[in-house]
Amino acid sequence: MATVDDVATGGPPEHRPRRNLTGYWLILPGALWLLLFFVIPFYSLLAASLFDPDGSVLTGYDVTFHVQNFGNAFWDYKEQIGRSLLYAALATATCLVLGYVLAYAIAFKAGRWKNLMLVLVIAPFFTSFLLRTLSWKLILADDGWVVDVAQAIHLTDALQLVNLADGDRLLATPFAVIAGLTYNFLPFMVLPLYASLEKVDVRLIEAAGDLYASPARGFLKVTLPLSMPGVVAGTLLTFIPATGDYVNDQLLGNTNTRMVGASIQSLFTKENDYATAGALSVILMVIIVAAVMVYVRKAGTEELV
Amino acid sequence: MSNAPESTVSAPPRAEAAHDLRLQGLTKEYATFTAVKALDLVVPQGQFFALLGPSGCGKTTTLRMVAGLETPTSGSIHLGDSDITYEKPYKRPVNTVFQNYALFPHLDIAKNVAFGLERRGVKNTKQQVAEMLELVELTSQAHKKPAQMSGGQQQRVALARALINQPEVLLLDEPLGALDLKLRRGMQLELKRIQTEVGLTFVHVTHDQEEAMTMADTIAVMNGGVIEQMGAPTELYENPRTTFVANFLGQSNLIAGDIEGRDGDQVKVRVQGAVASVPADRAHAESGQGWLGIRPEKVLIAETGHPIDAPGDVITGGFVTDVSFVGVSTQYQVRMPWGQELMVFEQNTGARGMLPVGTKVDVSWRPEFAFLLDASQDAMAGIEGD
Amino acid sequence: MAGMNRRTVLRGGAGLGFLGVSAAVLPLFGTPDQKQDPSRLKVPDRSESDPRLIISNWPEYIDEDDDGYVSTLTQFEKDTGITVRYTADVNDNDEFFSKVRNQLGSGTSTKRDLFALTDWMAARMIQVGWIQKLDASKVPNLHANIIDSLAKPAWDPGRDYSAPWQSGLTGIAYNKAKVDEVRSFSDLVTRPDLKGRVSLLTEMRDTMGFMLLIDGADPEKFTDDEWKQAVERLTKAKKAGQFRSFTGNDYVQDLASGNVLACEAWSGDIANAGDENLVWVPPEEGIMIWADNMMVPNLATHQANAEQWINYYYEPEVAAKLADYNSYICPVKGAQEAMEKVNPDNVENELIFPTEKTLSLTHRFMALDEAKARTYEKDYTDVQRA
Repeated sequence: MATVDDVATGGPPEHRPRRNLTGYWLILPGALWLLLFFVIPFYSLLAASLFDPDGSVLTGYDVTFHVQNFGNAFWDYKEQIGRSLLYAALATATCLVLGYVLAYAIAFKAGRWKNLMLVLVIAPFFTSFLLRTLSWKLILADDGWVVDVAQAIHLTDALQLVNLADGDRLLATPFAVIAGLTYNFLPFMVLPLYASLEKVDVRLIEAAGDLYASPARGFLKVTLPLSMPGVVAGTLLTFIPATGDYVNDQLLGNTNTRMVGASIQSLFTKENDYATAGALSVILMVIIVAAVMVYVRKAGTEELV
Repeated sequence: MSNAPESTVSAPPRAEAAHDLRLQGLTKEYATFTAVKALDLVVPQGQFFALLGPSGCGKTTTLRMVAGLETPTSGSIHLGDSDITYEKPYKRPVNTVFQNYALFPHLDIAKNVAFGLERRGVKNTKQQVAEMLELVELTSQAHKKPAQMSGGQQQRVALARALINQPEVLLLDEPLGALDLKLRRGMQLELKRIQTEVGLTFVHVTHDQEEAMTMADTIAVMNGGVIEQMGAPTELYENPRTTFVANFLGQSNLIAGDIEGRDGDQVKVRVQGAVASVPADRAHAESGQGWLGIRPEKVLIAETGHPIDAPGDVITGGFVTDVSFVGVSTQYQVRMPWGQELMVFEQNTGARGMLPVGTKVDVSWRPEFAFLLDASQDAMAGIEGD
Repeated sequence: MAGMNRRTVLRGGAGLGFLGVSAAVLPLFGTPDQKQDPSRLKVPDRSESDPRLIISNWPEYIDEDDDGYVSTLTQFEKDTGITVRYTADVNDNDEFFSKVRNQLGSGTSTKRDLFALTDWMAARMIQVGWIQKLDASKVPNLHANIIDSLAKPAWDPGRDYSAPWQSGLTGIAYNKAKVDEVRSFSDLVTRPDLKGRVSLLTEMRDTMGFMLLIDGADPEKFTDDEWKQAVERLTKAKKAGQFRSFTGNDYVQDLASGNVLACEAWSGDIANAGDENLVWVPPEEGIMIWADNMMVPNLATHQANAEQWINYYYEPEVAAKLADYNSYICPVKGAQEAMEKVNPDNVENELIFPTEKTLSLTHRFMALDEAKARTYEKDYTDVQRA
């Protein structure tokens, strides 16, 4: 339709409006999707957070802009919020260490096993999230051999020292919750790390060695900085969902490991306290967005052109 | 191979040989092939040394073994008196300018250049970095990232990054390979200037014979994991010892002949009925069959019946099959009576016009420019595929 | 500078616009009063033309076909030609309430014809008009055979809207292979050897009933101070890490696997588990009693079939078979006699046919108005959260 000249010069002016419209049409499905599944639920949530707390499911709720909901929700659930952030941070850190080693091995050492190992990383996704977490209950069961081993090597004692376990058991402890989070979100850490590491030119690592960097220094000064986009992406993909997770603590924790996700779920579906549930959701969202902004600014991917 | 590599090199006299790079019996075997076969080589301190050869000849493997990036299967590498064969790369006083430069994309130019010094714990690198950037004329670019620079600039950063460490040996792995032709010419001169200025030993790996000849004091031509011949560029060009060198370094006409034997300081060769002579020091075969070699620009040409300037050995009965005018010279293809086509390059001195295709011609050359090679070698060795 | 200002203004404008739109839009997300008038939410009954019946009930609450044994459900289908879709999707009263409240509250169909909920939840639903009145002429067995203790609850004195499916006792259960006898609820919340391995029920009325009993208060009539004391006691134990979880109907597995050593439990669940190590005991403090009530929701399309179902299960023989299977208290008079034929062993089973003496030890939870219920529910949630 268009000649080479048309393309080169942007086409005759009368073609322009049509071409611009094409862009809008392309945006439309995505925009509708966002409107339907993000904007509307977001407003619904925001509205819930501003409900009159004296309303109930039966009497109905009015949006009275009762902003005290936020203060009350935060005050009532500050422990759960803090715990969620702590558990998510610990799980993210564990994922980062385990995931980095794994991603590094796959990217640089796996050779022809690379594809197989990548498939294994995502293999857990082939079964349901819930089933896999439930199977951890069996693995860590109080009468299971894992607990016996953990006791024999004094892991349980060590965990008690740092307040991650309670008594001679693993299940229904903070440790189990964090382990569950780590397990469930590890692939989200490994994949972006792998993608980043895979792109690191091995010749740069050779160059670092050539320039008097021992393998350890070379890693710190070259490989690690170059894999930062993966580290940032991986930690965000792990930390954000882990903070809001409501499954692991219910299946693997006890009544004192309740995270904020489970609290919100319970408020919404069981206690029918929409005002608090909404306010808590908004608070969690604000905290995560703020934390992510600070983190991204600090960890700075802008160093990498 | 009938030609054993030669390890003595015509080098300028030196105050000390304490930091020569010596490779002895260096071998690198991989599962399916041997990349480098029992290589013996001495690179005198302060030389600009080129390892020249086609891809896959083992030159890069040799370089990587010197850098410590590959471990030799056998043999040794000495730098002066110290054996560095198995030394870790980061402990060797050797730096490399990598093919494609391998600049750290996350660091700016100044930090790239300072990298080596910082790893060795040098505290204040500012001054040295500034000096080095001045040397490569990039002072104003110190705070740019590599991705923001042109290929030629990146190449100079890579050079500065290596040079700043004042290594005993600087290795250059096809450092100009990624540059376009014009930039490459400029950089060749630049590299040579810098090498003269800093006085370090440069070992330069390249497959570009012109590049090697332009820059190097000494060239080692590698083929199939061994050094075919080593020497100063003129020596290699004028007096090649193998068909590979004769063809890889420039072009050669190789004419089959029977060696009649030595006559004083000349060796006589019967070539298609005529007898040609070759100086004894340029005859690398003494008897039996041989390849008589002559460079195209050494061959004189004249229309049959016309006199040839400064004639030597003359062969008659050819005719021109192809003429190309390339400005400074005219290149002829001349079909000889026995069917072979000889290349003849004639300077465009203006003394005579071009000879058209089909012209019957005689060719001739001065015997002192001819060379004689063992006929057991492939006459086509070293001719690049394209 | 001007650009900056313009940007600031634009941003401010966008922000204000967002706030304005939000303020205008947000009230639209309020929810209206959810009271309904059941007499206006009747649909033409399709029982005749579409012989189906859709039921939601609690898990493991009905006998199943097994190797020659014909279940009461199968028998019902055979007798009536009605196809029953029976789903065990009620795990917790609140949870189920959340599942259906959008439809019931807005006057649309839940696509169910019958579901069974515990007394207090049944009361709440009837109160807000979500439940259809049963046609007394179609459920003669219900009115004739319901046991006296269940015939006249305050919230549905004439059993016009509801029919008990089963009644049960809440007490404690423990795994005798793993722990010494647990006799009282007080043991459950204090014994150190149970620490971290106890589960309680999320049903506020059950758990808090026991907590009140521990202090000698009457769950049917207690003061605010007594309530507060009970809450505090529970909070203390929870904070000390005594409890593993607060559960719905899903506690048996953990008890059987040994993760939980003792728990608050419903009588029939333990008998049904078929694990001889699991023992249900009436706590020394007393027993909480409850019933799950079948109800027909608004807009149910097969009410006549539902009524047929209720009437069928109020036949003593059917009731006996059901009670024999799930070991809950049978709400049907004459079933004890019928049990002679079904399973003579169970005729004297106190869990199915409690004696007057046992019944005298049972307690119900005080009837609560909406506001009070919410206050207490919130207090109980706060304990779980603390």
